[in-house]
Amino acid sequence: MRKILNKPEVLAPAGNLEKLKMAIRYGADAVYIGGQAYGLRSRAGNFSFDEMREGVAFAHSRGAKVYVAANMVTHEGDSEGAGNFFKTLKDIGIDAVIISDPAMITICFNAAPGLPIHLSTQASATNYKTLEFWKSVGLERVVLAREVGIEEIREMRRHTDIEIEAFVHGAMCIAYSGRCTLSNHMVNRDANRGGCAQSCRWKYDLFEMDGTTAKTLVPEGAEPFSMSAVDLSMLRHLPDMIEAGVNSLKIEGRMKSIHYVSTVSNVYSKAVDTYCADPDHFTFDPAWEDEIWKVAQRDLSTGFYYQVPTEKEQLFGQPRKIPQYTFAAQVMSYDPATKIATLQQRNNFGAGEEVEFYGPGFVHFKQTVRDLWDEDGEPIDRAPNPMMTITMTVDQPVEPYYLMRKK
Amino acid sequence: MIKIIATAESEAQAEALLRAGADTLYVGGHPFGLRMPRALGTDQIQAIVQMAHALGKKVTVACNALMHNKQIEKLDSYLSQLAEMGVDAVTVGDPGAIFTLEELSLPLPYIYDAETLVTSAEQIEFWMKRGAAGAVAARELTLTELKEIQAKLDQPIEILAYGPTCIHQSGRPLLTNYYHYTDLDERSDSDRGLYLRDPKNPDSQYPIFEDEDGTHIFSTEDLSLMAELQELYDCGLHTWKLDGVLLHGETFVKITALFAEAKKALESGTFEPTGFCNRLRELQPLSRPLGTGFYLKKPDDVK
Repeated sequence: MRKILNKPEVLAPAGNLEKLKMAIRYGADAVYIGGQAYGLRSRAGNFSFDEMREGVAFAHSRGAKVYVAANMVTHEGDSEGAGNFFKTLKDIGIDAVIISDPAMITICFNAAPGLPIHLSTQASATNYKTLEFWKSVGLERVVLAREVGIEEIREMRRHTDIEIEAFVHGAMCIAYSGRCTLSNHMVNRDANRGGCAQSCRWKYDLFEMDGTTAKTLVPEGAEPFSMSAVDLSMLRHLPDMIEAGVNSLKIEGRMKSIHYVSTVSNVYSKAVDTYCADPDHFTFDPAWEDEIWKVAQRDLSTGFYYQVPTEKEQLFGQPRKIPQYTFAAQVMSYDPATKIATLQQRNNFGAGEEVEFYGPGFVHFKQTVRDLWDEDGEPIDRAPNPMMTITMTVDQPVEPYYLMRKK
Repeated sequence: MIKIIATAESEAQAEALLRAGADTLYVGGHPFGLRMPRALGTDQIQAIVQMAHALGKKVTVACNALMHNKQIEKLDSYLSQLAEMGVDAVTVGDPGAIFTLEELSLPLPYIYDAETLVTSAEQIEFWMKRGAAGAVAARELTLTELKEIQAKLDQPIEILAYGPTCIHQSGRPLLTNYYHYTDLDERSDSDRGLYLRDPKNPDSQYPIFEDEDGTHIFSTEDLSLMAELQELYDCGLHTWKLDGVLLHGETFVKITALFAEAKKALESGTFEPTGFCNRLRELQPLSRPLGTGFYLKKPDDVK
């Protein structure tokens, strides 16, 4: 029976230490995080060096890797201190840094020789000679531009052995990502230095000039022009990604919640494991897709992988309502004798509500909340307070770090 | 020594631009050159090279596209043809093109031009060490930053002195997609003359068009550093590009002539900006306001 031995990694985003641990518990083979500087997600939770140390210890004890994104396009002065930053990352045991700026690449080589460098998607790598160029510079991996097709990746793999990382899930820039300065010009916020104001998702008038008079092209009552992309999901096409020779399957979203990160990591790692264990008898489990829709924020598409995206892969008008689930609680412990679980509340819920428990390895079950007790063992109807500890009877065994969601 | 680089859209315009005082002509087109006023084939480029060289002037060819596999595969023979016809330099914005130049080891210097991605002297040094003969600075830099960068380099960096600034390139046909969504029967090419406006900013007017490389959006204002030329000159920013991607024919030639005249005045110490600025405003199309872009902003204004 054929097996895929060099299975690609599932690479998940981690906005903070809790998300890092949860992503890894839920099957991510690697996570990427931001430091206190040099990244593009100034508003995502970013890691102090101490948090990185703890994250690396946690990841390495489970055979997982931690990458740090330092993919800012630096102006004069922005790279100050970057040498010490990279040296510290290397000492901490960070597995690789993600960079797009060649000045930062040079600084990293000099200050932290041996620290692997991955080229960020901001550098828009779209052909195999570009990959060969970065290999000749000494990079270990290239994150592809989101504009490449699956056939182009196959072709790249025939021409180069540098590691290839490609996005499989999440929100997408509608531009070649490093080549967009809408935010800079519209609101003085530098997209390539973490200031992106998502101007592409605004609504615009489209018009022609008749002398000095603007004449709109937007039909009466029609939706205004917009450039908002739906999200990417390659869940149904992972066999294509794997067989094309992609080494790392990247999930977008350092700003996303624990609920999102755990769910998406769980689904993708399950699907990849299932395929690689027996690719010739693989069948897609629709339950994986159902699970993804529980955390989806926009409609989903395959981006550029099979065709140049049409109007169907853009958001015009009112977005379709996607039923939203809420992260309600996290399991802290479970007593098999009494079938009572101790939970930490994350969102208000109460007796009578239908909830769903899920755990690593794609374990799921639904039940109705029948009973609830507070920390002192007093029966309660609802769990209204953030982070309060409660106990309840569960229908099936659970483990610490199982999560509970509700509609 | 100030050098004026001007885009050329045809052999006829090339000739007029050379007469008007352009030092280097910048030509090319899909599938290798990005956002040129008109795509010129190798025959036309060859004729322009001969014309320029006969007058002791130069020609740079745009190879600055973000290239996909099918483009990079054809780049070998294109570069070899350019080298053979004696093209003076190419611009590149994709490191795959640099890798190709290295494989071919052609006598064809390259200038690194990745639009938004050239923002520090250290970056330019990286490309110079890898063989680049020069670099084009991002339009999003302030004068303060440009001065700092230039002070660290021996080679003058190239800056946009006149013309539109591209602020967005998408691989998607954004206009076509919108037309399909709204059942509009419309054109999307650059000659159609379409704009976007952000309703929150009534003065905004962003040119937009589609071509084989996707969708391109430009800033509201055409950049003009006419009023700032003395300062550019004094701090060693001597390589000026005039970009006619949205401005065709005779008007662009006249504007080039005006900058060439300003250059002479600067070099002879008689430059007086007010007259030049007034004359530029008279030539400038009404639909395209002039501005100074990021040039006069403070670096800290941009977050």
